[in-house]
Amino acid sequence: METFLQVLIDGMLSGMVYALVAAGLCLIWGVMDVINFAHGEYLMIAMYVSYWLGFLANVDPVVSIVASGAFIFILGALTYKLIIHYTIGKPPLAALLATFGLAMLLKNLCLNRFSPNFLILSDTWLGDKTFQLGNLIFPAPQLAAAILSLVVVGLVYAVISSTRFGWAVQATAMDRDAAELMGINTERVYILIFGIGGACVGIAGGIMPSYLSVHPEVGSLFGLIAFICVAMGGFGSIPGAFLAGILVGVVESVAGFYIAPVFKYIAVFGLYLAVVFLRPKGIFGW
Amino acid sequence: MQRKFFNGTDAVWLAFLAALALAPLVPAFAANSFRMHVMILILLFAGMSQAWNIIGGYCGQVSFGHSVFFGIGAYGAGMAVVTYGGTPWPGVIIGMVLAAAVAVVISYPCFKLSGHYFAIATFAIVEIFNRGFLVWDWVGGALGLDYPLIEEGLANLMWHDSKTEYYYAALAIFIVTFGIVRWLEGHRFGYYMRAVREGQETAESLGVNSTAVKLAAMSLSAALAALCGAFFVQYNLRVDPPMVMSLDMSMKFVLITILGGSGTLAGPLLGAAVLIPLQEYTRAFWGGLGGGVDLIIFGLLIIIMVVKQPAGMIGILRSAGKFFSGKKSAERGGEAHVSS
Amino acid sequence: MTRGFSSLSRWIVFFAVICLLIGFGPGSAPAAEKVIKIGTLFPLTGPVASAGQRCQAAVQTAVEIINNRHPGIKVPLAKQAGIMNGYKIVLVHADSQGKPDVGKAEAERLFNQEGVWAIIGSYNSSVSKPASLVAERMKRIFMCGASSSAALTKRNLNFFFRLAPTDETESIEFVDALQWMNKKKNARIKTIGVIYENTEFGKHAAEEAKKAAAHGGFRVVADVPFSPGATNLNSEVQTLKKSNPDAVFGAVLGADYSLWVRTMKQSNWLPKAALNYCSGYQDPVIMKQLGGDAEYFMGATAYSPQFAGLMPAVAQVEKIFKTKTGGVPFDGDSIQEAVAMLVLAQAIDKAGSLDPDKVAKTLHANTWESPLSLGGKVAFQKGGQNKLAKSILTQIQKNEYKRIYPEKMSDSTIVLPMRPWAKR
Repeated sequence: METFLQVLIDGMLSGMVYALVAAGLCLIWGVMDVINFAHGEYLMIAMYVSYWLGFLANVDPVVSIVASGAFIFILGALTYKLIIHYTIGKPPLAALLATFGLAMLLKNLCLNRFSPNFLILSDTWLGDKTFQLGNLIFPAPQLAAAILSLVVVGLVYAVISSTRFGWAVQATAMDRDAAELMGINTERVYILIFGIGGACVGIAGGIMPSYLSVHPEVGSLFGLIAFICVAMGGFGSIPGAFLAGILVGVVESVAGFYIAPVFKYIAVFGLYLAVVFLRPKGIFGW
Repeated sequence: MQRKFFNGTDAVWLAFLAALALAPLVPAFAANSFRMHVMILILLFAGMSQAWNIIGGYCGQVSFGHSVFFGIGAYGAGMAVVTYGGTPWPGVIIGMVLAAAVAVVISYPCFKLSGHYFAIATFAIVEIFNRGFLVWDWVGGALGLDYPLIEEGLANLMWHDSKTEYYYAALAIFIVTFGIVRWLEGHRFGYYMRAVREGQETAESLGVNSTAVKLAAMSLSAALAALCGAFFVQYNLRVDPPMVMSLDMSMKFVLITILGGSGTLAGPLLGAAVLIPLQEYTRAFWGGLGGGVDLIIFGLLIIIMVVKQPAGMIGILRSAGKFFSGKKSAERGGEAHVSS
Repeated sequence: MTRGFSSLSRWIVFFAVICLLIGFGPGSAPAAEKVIKIGTLFPLTGPVASAGQRCQAAVQTAVEIINNRHPGIKVPLAKQAGIMNGYKIVLVHADSQGKPDVGKAEAERLFNQEGVWAIIGSYNSSVSKPASLVAERMKRIFMCGASSSAALTKRNLNFFFRLAPTDETESIEFVDALQWMNKKKNARIKTIGVIYENTEFGKHAAEEAKKAAAHGGFRVVADVPFSPGATNLNSEVQTLKKSNPDAVFGAVLGADYSLWVRTMKQSNWLPKAALNYCSGYQDPVIMKQLGGDAEYFMGATAYSPQFAGLMPAVAQVEKIFKTKTGGVPFDGDSIQEAVAMLVLAQAIDKAGSLDPDKVAKTLHANTWESPLSLGGKVAFQKGGQNKLAKSILTQIQKNEYKRIYPEKMSDSTIVLPMRPWAKR
């Protein structure tokens, strides 16, 4: 029983990190119907930002999340301005392919600039700490990331659902032309959405160097899992992506422990198929 | 898109094929084995992308799962040779049949999904197959299958020193896939596929069983993909799951077709003819520097191509065609002079 | 549309021209007559790029020593410039991306287009296999430094040579070491767990480990493969923790290694002894960054900077190597690639000919002086395995790789069992 609870906790914690990574993707996808293939690479770059701040200026990742969030906000907005903008209204796969190229570019640019070495921040505030509750162990960095995930996802959800900007976003997502006619500057909405989506993953990446090593390939699997979470949760639904993230984390952890570790990702991808075969538009989709 | 049984474009195609068939006879061409290698890859990936084009381009179902079928074909040939010590041919056939069967089984539920849900589902299937094959010891698991040194020749579909035979084998695959698609274009089934792409409900209302059409297109596409996969493993003499069943591989087929122009006969060839040399030559030129310079440039070029010409190379050819026939200046009022 | 066409077509023309220039243009060989071209084929991009780039730098280091006079370096060929009365070695580099198909294509290109005389490569066993077959068919030499799969040298190839010890010999060494710990240190180790990445490398190491463990009378209670590049290793570590083996054999590379160590720390679990195959444990950068967490882990090592006492010649060579890697010292893998280059050059020099057949026979027939190898000598058996390949079992103590087994080569006493996390 204790082991089961521990496995469950591990799964929930990593699931909430997935949710945070997925939230940004979900936003972009929901509003613009664009699959951003470079999402995992955003995460990787955010981790580099946080790592270099920690390494050169001794800033702890907990603080660096502000900088990495801001950095990826700019990167996201630039991605929109320089690339995605030109693919709007073109064949639906154009944006996906362009971001695939972008992912390749960013990954190898980092390889080129920062070497392929595995970089680890030692002596971070959270790095080694754990909380114990009876025999159950809560690793501090994952716990912090999970809390951060709750806060950020909640904040984004609140902004989207109950501010004027959020309504503009929703209107744009439903029908861009109609929104334009209503006086919404949809171009600005798109830039901001890409930026905010980037900032979410930037914040996630910012805290990760507390417990993960940084290297050019680190984002790939996170990116893939984020796709799964977003689609499983239902097109553009942030609560859906959050729930799906946790579900993915738990299934990964439980299957990894009770079946076999090599089956954990098979179980995750299988879970997605099972969910969409039952509900073709995802958990919260309509 | 009315296609007659034989028209002027087909004559151009035949002339082109004849030129391809004669190319290895030119000593200056055949002597350079790297150029032959690039040509073989162009033909193979053009064929492979054409197979994808059947379902992705003509039928409008964007699948990222084709590396699964590619991989099944590769494993069919690989296991026939490595595990059972025979010739690859029975494996090729079994692989094609099996790929078609798997395609039907996994596509049937997936076709109920729309848009991105379908695309992500095919992602998931690739990952499941990839990781499943990695732990499945009967097919070699993570160790993969390595070919022993066996006799060269058509029986073993393997040649050691010369690439000319491989070239002709790749050309054969190219002709088969392009021939089938050309035939489909003028055939009733081809019209069904395009009708489904343009609007499933409309197609249904006209009496087209869209599920049947999609499944048939998918299994044909998968069988051809398996054929290409079998050639790929015979060419590389090794197969393991990351080599053949990976998202990277799937993306390559999609990328080539979209960049060339999806849903067109010439698109996959154009895409492969641009993308494959780009990939091979940038790597040959800059890969050794380390630091992924070749991949940086490759990624940048993909972005530029997509941003500048989302309709694919075929769009460029069309506008070039208009340019040369002088239609364009009439339509656009000499705008071409502005761009420099 | 028009603008798009014209500017894109300019790009295409530009690249078509470049392609043609590469394809049709003259080769990149310098005009000097006495030149031997050697190809290197390493994963310079992709998940194992860091190891690949270090291996490439190691070969470059060796070539610098061969081509120039280095009176201060006590390595064969260092005192003279070039080999065979003034032949210089020129390297042609290629990137395998860690993919077998790319590696094979690049090997063919190196031989046919670049006209290299031999290839050194390719780190990944899965790439070395098809790439070395290309060399074998062309009757050219393929020197393999660090690929560890024992199967490579069981193919009876005539032109393939591998320097590093295989995972087979390492597994046997591990089991020997465990028996020694039981006998001499009263460790009471009975059960073994194996954790490995589910790739050619890891799978192969695990199979050899299980074989050796059965042979040595140990029971394997946990068999934990995982997908490399994992986002977390929680269930893997939980599985280990549940079966609680006395000793763990790990084949865990790069980033996964540090994640594994840290996850064990978070789960507050450790075996009595943890023994590692190559890379993750050996990587000096990772060791340093893990700091105190890396302490008391053990692994097979063919070289580390603390071996200076055993291998005095390395220090001078390492100085050159560090200029190429930004200060990272040799590790057990990269130094093997330098040895591969040096031994090949020695063989060419001795054979006095550029006939691959003759040089391959010379390589087989002789025992080679190799101050960069742990044994000090290199000799090949049929199939190309370096039968004098050795590695020492080391343990990290106070951020240094201390030699602990075999006893006669040791410089420290083993800390056994590993000190628990709470008491560090």
